[in-house]
Amino acid sequence: MSNYTLKLDYQLAPGWLQPYTEGLSQGRAVSWCCSTCERTSFPPVRTCTCGQTTGTWVALAGTARVIHYTCGQDGEFALAQFEGADTATVVKLCHNTATNLSYQVGTSANLTGSLQASGSAKPELVLRLDPIGKTS
Amino acid sequence: MSSGTRVKISGAALTPYNRRKDNSSFRDWACSAFNDALYKSGLEHRDIDALYVASESDFFTLQLNPASVIASDIGIEGVSTTRIEGGGASGQLAIHAATRAIQSGYVKHAAVIGVDPSASMLNSDTIKKLYSFSFDAWTDGMTGVSATVLYALSFQSFLQRTRVEEKQLASVAIQNRANALHNPNAHLGREHTVDEVKESPLIAAPYRRLHCSPLSDGAAAAILSRSDSIPSNRKNAATIIGIGGASDAMHLGAREDPGHFRAKETAMNRACAEARITPDQIGVAEVYDAYAGAQLQAIDALSLSDDLLNDLQTERFAPTGQCPINLSGGLLGQGAPTGATGVGQTASIALMLEGDYVPALQPRTIPRYGLADTHGGVCTTSAVTLMEKSVSV
Repeated sequence: MSNYTLKLDYQLAPGWLQPYTEGLSQGRAVSWCCSTCERTSFPPVRTCTCGQTTGTWVALAGTARVIHYTCGQDGEFALAQFEGADTATVVKLCHNTATNLSYQVGTSANLTGSLQASGSAKPELVLRLDPIGKTS
Repeated sequence: MSSGTRVKISGAALTPYNRRKDNSSFRDWACSAFNDALYKSGLEHRDIDALYVASESDFFTLQLNPASVIASDIGIEGVSTTRIEGGGASGQLAIHAATRAIQSGYVKHAAVIGVDPSASMLNSDTIKKLYSFSFDAWTDGMTGVSATVLYALSFQSFLQRTRVEEKQLASVAIQNRANALHNPNAHLGREHTVDEVKESPLIAAPYRRLHCSPLSDGAAAAILSRSDSIPSNRKNAATIIGIGGASDAMHLGAREDPGHFRAKETAMNRACAEARITPDQIGVAEVYDAYAGAQLQAIDALSLSDDLLNDLQTERFAPTGQCPINLSGGLLGQGAPTGATGVGQTASIALMLEGDYVPALQPRTIPRYGLADTHGGVCTTSAVTLMEKSVSV
């Protein structure tokens, strides 16, 4: 076996997704609303399920409801639906306070939270969870 | 099949799947699998018209354009070479490409090689990071979502409309690894108890370490031939009777039911329509079990069961059941060198339908029809292949 190190520095261009990625860096959930059926996708999809490719960028409130929650060695993540969006998205979770949420197969999570600004050009989807019991 | 040209699997072979520590390279494994498959086919190097190589990532191999390199290595330089990539489905997609090439009339014999060094060349954290770009790199990838996380969230949605219990989820891993104990090529033949599975480290709930397939090194090869050009001593080779492919929304959250493998259902419907059979006629299957729950989702999407819980209870999918699933051990037990996976599944079913599989795992009564099912992403790309045993078997 021979050791070999390859270091790659990409310059990634977001292209059509630029309004979305800029929004994430500022903590804004920027969705895509189809001009025909008004389906609102977050994350945005370039071609709507109805086939339409035109639409408008729409900033959502930034609050979301967790549909499914998972945790473990790979971290805490959820499938969450942002208020005003017709689709859901996978988000990384963070807490205001250190909290370990217990998980049981088949239970619903009943969690809510708000989009956290990534603070960088990296388009991370991070949801800061509300304290347990609070609803958006 | 609809084109009228029948395609047979004249040769099939797999190398061991494991973590190589013997200084061998993926090119060695590709050569080994090809040579064994070619020998079984009864053909010569000069008979091969085209090569299809399935390999998931240049990051794994550090070899761009691997098909041309492997063509030289295996001594078929000059043939048409194509590299096929579709994430976890790469190998099955290569089988499909070769099948269609033969049906087109331009190719009589095609070699398909699947290979990946998913275990030994990069550390597991790097592989995990690369795998996260198998999904939408700009959303899931940049957020740091692992494959296990996505599969876990999909399976939780599946749980909402089924009543699968922890014990039944564990039983998938237990069964597949028990099968793998009898497979000399398998990476993880093990005896597990339900408690061992339940007590293994939590990776992404509900998935624990023992619910997950390993990263493996290895290769598999198949020689596909026009039925009217196959050597006379290979007339008992299995026939590909239907193939189907489909895709789904790239974002899990954009799917109507994130727990349903819709692309797999569509691919299966297309394959069955081409083969003119129904799912209940399948008598043996290798399905894509990257995670224990994914096997249950696959059984559901492929319509291999009308009553999943009852069929699990009555061991319909056990080695002696009506439709054994993953006799090889599947990804969970046999292992998962990504590019090789789909080719290896098809090769294994072809050998079973010939009665020439690993003796301890060979079905005593050879079923008429077998299925190989592979997907990439969280079933974002799906590829299903249906095979039939020869009337002479």
